[in-house]
Amino acid sequence: MQTRLKSIFLLLYTLLFLAGCENYPKDPEKTLEKVTNGTLVVGYSENPPWVVKGAAEPAGIEPELVKAFAKSINASIQWQNDTEQNLLEELEKRKLHVVIAGITDDSPWKSKISFTRPFAEVAKKKHVMAIVMGENAFTIKLETFLNQQKTALENRIRP
Amino acid sequence: MNPINRFEYPEELRPVFRKAKKLEWITVAYLVSTAVVVYLTMGNSQAMKTAWFEDLLSLTPSISFLVASRVFHKKPNKDFPYGYHRVVNIAYLCSALALFCVGAFLIYDSASTLLKQEHPTIGIKVIFGQEVWLGYLMIAAMVYSTVPAMILGRLKLPLAKKLHEKNLYTDADMNKADWMTGAAAIPGILGIGLGWWWADSVAALIISLDIIKDGYTNLKQAVCDLMDQIPKNVDDQKTDPLFQQVRQKLQAQPWVKEHAFRMREDGHIYLGEAFVVPQEETNLMPRLERLAEEIESLNWRIQEFVIMPVSKLPETGNEEGRPN
Repeated sequence: MQTRLKSIFLLLYTLLFLAGCENYPKDPEKTLEKVTNGTLVVGYSENPPWVVKGAAEPAGIEPELVKAFAKSINASIQWQNDTEQNLLEELEKRKLHVVIAGITDDSPWKSKISFTRPFAEVAKKKHVMAIVMGENAFTIKLETFLNQQKTALENRIRP
Repeated sequence: MNPINRFEYPEELRPVFRKAKKLEWITVAYLVSTAVVVYLTMGNSQAMKTAWFEDLLSLTPSISFLVASRVFHKKPNKDFPYGYHRVVNIAYLCSALALFCVGAFLIYDSASTLLKQEHPTIGIKVIFGQEVWLGYLMIAAMVYSTVPAMILGRLKLPLAKKLHEKNLYTDADMNKADWMTGAAAIPGILGIGLGWWWADSVAALIISLDIIKDGYTNLKQAVCDLMDQIPKNVDDQKTDPLFQQVRQKLQAQPWVKEHAFRMREDGHIYLGEAFVVPQEETNLMPRLERLAEEIESLNWRIQEFVIMPVSKLPETGNEEGRPN
């Protein structure tokens, strides 16, 4: 028992030490690392006013947020337009990084993919972006960015 | 021979029982508070949802103990001539089943996460305008759900043995399950932060094997007790040494030619009956009464021991209950 306890504590300390290092938490598939200074693959499906289809690229609240986010990590965006269903399936297969389609957090897709924390609330619906599952560093980067945009967003959404 | 009385613990054990009851109230309050804390930190995390569900299930032993403790000491009446002792066995069965379910649920949950390769996502939470990784909050919640559970469990074990309270013992096992899953979740979450998506599930899987073992042992014992198995110890499921003492007492009677006896557990107490073939019939009544009294005074747990004089031992086919 004594040695078992000791080895457990040793493991815990090692983990804590590793956790103290830079870039913590990390991504299992290194998404944030790959996207930074690289390409962010974003799926979008029209859902005005959140996502509005444009000529070359989408417009609306969510595309603007994604564009600003991409700029903050110096990434270019590869847009992909499809139905919400198809996009979320692609996201589950990890072929996309983010999906925007005016999704709210009561979506039944919740368990297959991940949602960011709500960045806006309209008519009691909490709006989220769908994001590749388990890439925690990437998730934190996007969620932190969305949180910083909160005041600007609220002013924009307010009728 | 006294009838089955209104049962209360003997004088020296009453404070112990009161202490056990107090501990169980503390446990209920504490578990409800952890359930609230975990609920607040769970976010989208499936792992925390599991922990929350487990917290709710782990309330079962303490609640069933408290319910049973209001019932078991009631006086026997027309409708319940044997008293209300069995309620303790039923409470024990509920607790053991809950413990087993926690283990089984944990195994299913962690194994299916691993098989489906679900990568847990842990995002941020904003506290006072500050973005904090939810993982750190989860670890804090886990520490809160670990240390007190460990202390409560340790405090309950000696009381359970003294009171012959298998339900309380199971509750101590449940507390152990709580603190072990909490303790395993901490390196699990830290591991997720290192990019090891499997860390939390592997940690939970290892712990769940231990929980399901405890659950199974207790579930089996609870069912056996309800099926009138001979009395077993609270902690190790071995036959109670009291059984041997009763046998020695019967064997030591010079006026008893042959005997056979059986005993069963009725909640905290034991009931039993012996069939004796006397050498001679002189003074039979006082001898029977004295013997029953002596056996009943071996221990408070032997609440009623009926001795039946017979001319021939009944053919029970019961090896354990018969003298060698």
